[in-house]
Amino acid sequence: MERRAAAPVAGVGLIALAAATLPLITRDSYYLDVATTILMNLTLTMSFRLQVSTGQINMAHISFMGIGAYASALLVTRVGLSFWATLWLGALVAALLAVPIGSVALRVSGPYYFLITFAFSEVVRLFFNNFFEGLFGGPSGLVGIPKPGRLLGLVFDGKPALYGLMAVLCLIVVVALVRLDYSRFGLTAGAIRQADLVAETLGVNVFRYKLTAFVLGSFVAGLAGVFFAHFRQVLHSSDFGLEPMVLLVVFTVIGGTGSVWGPVIGTIVMTLASELLRELHHYEILVFGAVLILTMLFAPEGLVALSGAARRRLRRLRGRAPAQAGAGLAP
Amino acid sequence: MLLELRGVSQRFGGLQAVADLSMTVAPGSIHGLIGPNGAGKSTVFNLITGVIPLTAGEILFKRERISGLRSAEICRRGIARTFQATALFREYTVLQNVLVGAHRLAAPGLGPALLWSASYRERERRARERGHALLKSLGLGAVASQVAGQLPNRDQKALALAMALATGAELVILDEPLAGLTDQEKAETTAVLRRLREQSLTVLLVEHDMKAVMGVCDTVTVLDHGVRIAEGTPREIQTNAAVIEAYLGAEEPGA
Repeated sequence: MERRAAAPVAGVGLIALAAATLPLITRDSYYLDVATTILMNLTLTMSFRLQVSTGQINMAHISFMGIGAYASALLVTRVGLSFWATLWLGALVAALLAVPIGSVALRVSGPYYFLITFAFSEVVRLFFNNFFEGLFGGPSGLVGIPKPGRLLGLVFDGKPALYGLMAVLCLIVVVALVRLDYSRFGLTAGAIRQADLVAETLGVNVFRYKLTAFVLGSFVAGLAGVFFAHFRQVLHSSDFGLEPMVLLVVFTVIGGTGSVWGPVIGTIVMTLASELLRELHHYEILVFGAVLILTMLFAPEGLVALSGAARRRLRRLRGRAPAQAGAGLAP
Repeated sequence: MLLELRGVSQRFGGLQAVADLSMTVAPGSIHGLIGPNGAGKSTVFNLITGVIPLTAGEILFKRERISGLRSAEICRRGIARTFQATALFREYTVLQNVLVGAHRLAAPGLGPALLWSASYRERERRARERGHALLKSLGLGAVASQVAGQLPNRDQKALALAMALATGAELVILDEPLAGLTDQEKAETTAVLRRLREQSLTVLLVEHDMKAVMGVCDTVTVLDHGVRIAEGTPREIQTNAAVIEAYLGAEEPGA
C-alpha cells in the first residue's frame, strides 16, 4: 500500500521529464513529429485502457476521437470559433454523444459489447465518408483546417509549439487518469473487471461505473481528436476506421492492460517501432499482428508485467513466496 | 419482520424453480434454509439479492419493497451476500477485497477521486482502518496484504463473509458457508455467526451440514422442489414427517 503512494508520482514525473527534455535535445521536425504522435497516441491508449479497466473493450473508441476532430474542425471553419474554445467543445461533443451510445451498448457485455461498439464505429466512419459531403468532405477528406493560432501571446503553428501543446494536454490526461487508477475509482473498476456480479452485490452500480469510464474515456479521445484535426489539418474518415482502432488495441495490449503504466510502455515502444517499420507500408500491420500473438503467448499481461514476473521468478529461485501476483487482463 | 417473501415464484422456461414461497426472517436471528439438492435454495438467494428477477410475488425488507431493484441498490438498503463457489476479487489483496465491500461507506464516484480532497482521503483512511479491524475480528489480520486468490479455502470463506459485513449490511445471506471446511473450522465459523447475532446482525444461510444447521439456527425453513414444506425451530423440523419424507433416500436431518 505504501509502495502504491510513491509509484504514481515517480511515473508521472518521469513522463513529464522525458517530455520536457526532448525539445532540448533536438529541434528536428521529424523527431518532434514522432514525439507528438507518441503523446497523441498515449492520450488515446490511456483513455482506452480506462475503459478496459472496467472490463469493456470499446471498439468505437477511435470514433469518439473522430467525433471530436470533425466537431472542432467544423466549429472553427464554419462557425468561426477559436481553437482554444473548440478544444474543450469538441471533447464535450464526444462525451455527450457517448452518454446515449454507452447507455445502449453497456446493456450487454463481453463479445456482444465488442460487436455493438464495432458496428457503431463502422456507422460513424461511413457517416463521415458518405453523408453531408459538403460538410465532412466525403471520400476526399475535410481540408483547410487551420492550426491552433495564438494564445497568451504565443503562436501555436510551428512543430515545437504544437509538440509543447500536446505535451501539456497529454500530461493533464496522464495525471488525471493515473490519479483515478490509484483511487477508489480504480479499485472499484478493477473489482468489476474481475467479478462484476460480486461487485454489484457489494453495492457497486456496475452499469454506472462502466458508463462513467465510457464517457470520460470518450471525452479524452475527443480531446486527442481535436488536436489531431488541427495538427494534421486534414481529416479522412479512414483516420478513424478499423485499422487505427486495431493499432490502438495492439498498443494497449502489448503494454499490458492490468496496470495504468502498460499503455505508456506499449505506446512508446510501438509508435517508435511503427516509425522504424515505415518502409514496410501495409505489411507493417502484419508485423504488429505477429508481435501481438507473441505477446499473448509469452507475456499475456503485457510488457509492463515483465519486470514484475522476472522479480517474482527471482524471488521464487531464492525460495521466498511471491508477495503479489501481477494484475493481468481478463476481458 | 426484517425480511419478508410474499408468494414468490420463479420459473425458468418450463421449470418451476420456486413456487409461491412465503417466508419471514426475524431480526437478530440466524435463519437456515435447507432442502435436498435442486430444492431452489440458491434461487431464493438470487431472487432476494436481485441477481435474477422474480416471476411473481414480492420481497420486502424493513417493510419496503426491494424486488425489482438492482442488486447494488438492494445492497445499499442493507442486504449483503456471499456466493456458493466462493467469489472474490482474486487478483486483489485481502484488504483490497474488503475495501471494495466498504464501497458505499467510503467515497465512491469520479469527483472525489479526481479532486483528492481532504475529506476523500479521510474517508478512505477510515475505510482502511475499519477494514483492518474487521479482518482482525475474523482472524484474517495476518493475511491482510496477501493476494486473495492464493488463500486457503477457510480464509477465502472468511474473507467472503468479511466483504459482506464491510458493506454495513443488517442482513447477510450466506450460501454454504461451511462447505469444504474441517470440523474444527466449522466450529470456528459457527462461533463467528453466533457472535454476529449478539451484535444484532441477522443471518440467512443455506447449508448442507445438518448438524451445524440444527446447532446454530434459531429458525429453519425447508424447501423441496421450490415449495416450502416446513418451517420452525430445529427441534420441530427434526421431527416433522414431511421433512423426513423429503430427505428419505438422501440424508436424514439431524443425522
